[in-house]
Formats: sequence, structure tokens, C-alpha cells
Amino acid sequence: MGTISLEHSDRLYWLGRYTERVFTTLKTLQKLYDRTIDNRSGYAEYLGYFGLSDSYGSNRDFFRSFLYDSTNPNSVAYSLERAYDNGIVLREEISTETLSFLQLAKDTLAKSEMSENTRLSLLPLVDQLYAFWGCIADNVYDEEKKNIIYCGKTVERLDLYMRTGYSYKLVKKEFGRLCKRLKNVPENTPFCCNSQYFGEIEDIVGSAEKYSSESSTALVDLEHLFEPMGAAV
Amino acid sequence: MTQQNNEQCTKAVGNADEINELLRRYGVKFGIYKNGVFNEQFFPFDPIPRVIPAEDFKSIEKGLVQRVNALNEFLFDIYHEKKIVRDGIIPEDFIYISKGYLAQCEGITPKNKVYSHISGIDLVQAKDGEWYILEDNLRIPSGASYPLIARELTRIAAPQAFQENDIVDNRNYAKLLKETMENANCGGIRAILTPGRYNAAYFEHSYLAEHTGSVLVQNDELFVEDNILYHRTYSGGKTRIGVLYRRIADEYLDPLNFLPESLIGIPNLMEVYRSGNVGIINAPGNGVADDKGIYYFVPKMIKYYLDEEPILHNAPTYLPFYEDDMKYVLDNLEKLVIKDVAEAGGYGVVFGNDLTKEKLEEFRRTIIICRFSTTAKR
Repeated sequence: MGTISLEHSDRLYWLGRYTERVFTTLKTLQKLYDRTIDNRSGYAEYLGYFGLSDSYGSNRDFFRSFLYDSTNPNSVAYSLERAYDNGIVLREEISTETLSFLQLAKDTLAKSEMSENTRLSLLPLVDQLYAFWGCIADNVYDEEKKNIIYCGKTVERLDLYMRTGYSYKLVKKEFGRLCKRLKNVPENTPFCCNSQYFGEIEDIVGSAEKYSSESSTALVDLEHLFEPMGAAV
Repeated sequence: MTQQNNEQCTKAVGNADEINELLRRYGVKFGIYKNGVFNEQFFPFDPIPRVIPAEDFKSIEKGLVQRVNALNEFLFDIYHEKKIVRDGIIPEDFIYISKGYLAQCEGITPKNKVYSHISGIDLVQAKDGEWYILEDNLRIPSGASYPLIARELTRIAAPQAFQENDIVDNRNYAKLLKETMENANCGGIRAILTPGRYNAAYFEHSYLAEHTGSVLVQNDELFVEDNILYHRTYSGGKTRIGVLYRRIADEYLDPLNFLPESLIGIPNLMEVYRSGNVGIINAPGNGVADDKGIYYFVPKMIKYYLDEEPILHNAPTYLPFYEDDMKYVLDNLEKLVIKDVAEAGGYGVVFGNDLTKEKLEEFRRTIIICRFSTTAKR
């Protein structure tokens, strides 16, 4: 009915962020898993992206933790729980049908933990996340609300792409998406971007060379994107 | 139940796993607190249907409409002239000792004079097939969402049960609720007030908000300004609320008028309501009409206000306030169910046949002392 509280706007934003975090983490781990088929190692680099030390000792333990351990804040299970926590208080905004795909995703992840073929058992989870986004597109009629969810989704994707070494081409495309979303944010709302940080990101992402040397600065700027003007880093 | 009905029941039972799986998928849950910890559980569904033949249903419907009309008249009367007390139909003690009577509601007339927009009247069928009223719930009756979604999902999992039987559709509840909210609307948006995510019935609050197109709100999103209730928006603006379907109890609704320690209420809400600037569903103060002591008098209310004979009867009930009833209760305590009139939701109910000889004696003494505050049912 076109009225959004501060609490709900925050929930909508984080629903977008956490659901995207599940999706991109899953995608990145799947690629990593594929590499380990030949190499039997490789997760150390991934831990480095997040500044984490290796306390796992084996590929198996690493993947189990980053997929299923809900106490690991970087795991798929943790992000999925947070996505669901946000979704459940938005039922009337996103619809029961949309929410059902997060429940199905949770069930798929739980079943996957018992499976002998991890990658195969996780394929339906990807399908369910696509279905979730399809439902958001289809069932959320309020464009303002939808845009908040998409802002969260795009900020998260951009963050993870920059953090985990996705190509410049993809980062630039995602930044273009973010610009479109931000243009649709109404004035005087918490998702109006801070022009100082936005300008810095735009500058860095504007050139491949600059991006390769300053992506870490762009990541910090992204973190502060929605801070009110004049707020210190 | 006919042979055919039995077969259909069996078919539906055969789909119990599928129906429960669907309920899980759609997040049909209820919360319970155990040892201070909140746990959410999926709602278990038993698909064995309770068959009510169309003819019975028609008469039950008529009886319920009659009863609720009388209860509405009673609420208007009690918070205005109190003619039913003056005319000696109900002793005034039963009004003023009732926890549900709220002096703060005196003189308030809700829009269209409707106090009980949603009424949960409990029914029981006796061995002889007769239906009786067990109790009235006019404060915050809950649970409508569960049969609603269960019906939707049962139709997916067991379509044959509906193809082969003439079953009345109950899925228009959300539409009726929306219309009811609009009838009570004093100008503004529709909102459902929930105590929050950790309330046992949160699923219901959010599901009904979704299906009525209402905004689901918590008290900290609402404020009163110039005697109008507003929803605070994320841009710092405000949207007027015209009708509030509150899912919190009267005493927590407005800390300036009821319990000052309430953290889930809205200060000054009662002033807005009193001024006719917001509709509240159900009306505050309805507890005086669904009190277990008042229940005894509902058949008399029907005659008094509507000049009609009650279509549905109360389950046989004894009020120890009256000498004859007191004698019967004391002589037959072990056969009766005893209720504390001040309690609700299953609290304060004692089954006489569960009591030891000593406890029965103790109860007899209590009933003599608390003759106003107990009822007994056969």
C-alpha cells in the first residue's frame, strides 16, 4: 500500500544482500570445488579474500564449513538463515510464494549435507534462488520496495565480485546496474547514496588500470555508500 | 458420516504427508516459548475432515449471526445507558467485576456501531447431534489463517476430495476481512498491529496482512499527532491509518490509558479512537461481553435486545450466584467443569472428575466464597 517503515526498508535491503551473498558464495565455491578436482587444493586464496587464516587443513573441512556451518558468518548456511530471517518479516511485501523458495533452499541445503555428491545436490538450490528472484520481479508490485531489494542485491554482488577477484568487465557491468538502481532511490531516504563515496567508486571503476590498483579502496567506499554526507570513514 | 464421506476422508488422509510438506514449504508455523526460549514449529495438519452437513451449517450460521448481533447490542448498551442492568436482566456485579469491562471505553461508539468485527464462537456437538455454544471470544479471536492456507494446500494435494464432494469454499475469508476493515475505516490505510516476530501467531498476522493488502506494523512505527494515528515512513514522512486490526490485548494497547508499563502499545491511541479518527478491530472493552460469567446471560440478551428466541443454546451452565445453581454445583461438582470467569484461553478450567475427595471439598469452599467469579458446565 505504498508506505515503507525504516525497519522494513532495512529488512528489504538486507534480504537482497543476504540472498545474493548465498548465490555468489555458492557460485564461487562451486568454481573453487571444480578446481580442486584436479589440484586438490586452492581454498587458501579464497580465505585470503576475507582476511581469514587457514584453520581447516583439508578441502573437505573447508567446503563443509563454508557451505553448511551456520556458525561460520561466511558460509552459505549462515547467509541463507539471515536471508530467511529478513524474508519472514516481509511476507506481506514479498508474498508467501516468494518466501517459500527460501524455505525450499534451506531444505535443499540441509539435504545436501547428507549427500555424497555435493555439487550435484546443490544444483536445485541455485534453481530455487533463481525462482526466488523471479518471484520478486513478479510479485512485488511496489517499484520502490523492489528497488531497495535490488540495491541490496547489487551492492552485495559488487562487493563479492571485487573481493574475490572477478574480472573487471563483470565488475563494471555490475556497477552500471548499481547506478541505474541508485537513480530510482527517492530523496531523503536511507538509500540515497553518499555522492563523495559514489564519486570515488565511479572514478576507480571507470578505468581498468585504476581498478586493478585501487579495488581495495573501492571496496571501502562501497561499505560507506549509504552513509549520510559528512560522516567520517 | 456417510460411506462416501468416509472414503473421501480416507483419501484425504492418504495425502497427509503431501499436505504437511506443503505447509512446511509455505512456512506455516507457530511459535512457543519453552523455558523462556522461543521455538518455532511447523504447524502439524491432520486432514481428517470435520463434516458439517449444509443444513446444520445453515442453522449454525443463523444462530451465530443472532448471537453476535445481541452481543454487539449488549456492548453498546453497557458502554452507554446500561439498560440491561437497569431492567434487572443482568446483575450489575457481573459487569463491574469483569476484568474485560474498561471504564475508559464508556461513551465510545465505534463506526457503524460494530464492536465485535471478528467473533470466535466455540461450538460443541452433543451426542444427540445438537450444537451448543461453549464460549464466546470477542477480543482477539485468532487462528483463521490456518484453515485458510490448509484448505488451499489440501486442494493441491487432494483435489479428488473436492471434486467428488460438494464442499463449501472458505477461501473468501481474506476478502471478507478486508471488507470488514474497510467498513471500520475512518479514513486512511489499513494496518495490522502485531507484537512482533516472536509472537506465537506471527505467521497469521503476516499472512492476513498479505492477503488483505494491509500494512503489517509494530508500535514503534506508529505515532499520534493532532489526534490522528500515523505510520512513520522511512523517508521521515507519515501516512494516516484509518483502521487498525490490532493483535495485542486491550491492556497493552495504550500505555497512557491502560497498563503504563506496556512496551508494545501506542500512547494516546484511545483518544484517537474516542474521537472517531481511527477504527480499532475488535473494539477495546469487548472482554466484558465474552466473560464466562456474562456467557450465562447471552440467551437472555437475545430475548432482551432482539426479542427472539435463541437459535443456538448455551451448554448447560450453572452460576453459583443463584441459590438453585449453587446447590446443584455443590451437589454435583465431580460431574462438572468449573471455570474461573476472569480467565481465558483455557486457563482457570478444572474438571471435577479429576479432583480428589479433599480437592473437591476445597473447591466447594472456594465456590461458596467466590460465587460471583465461577461458573460450572455439565
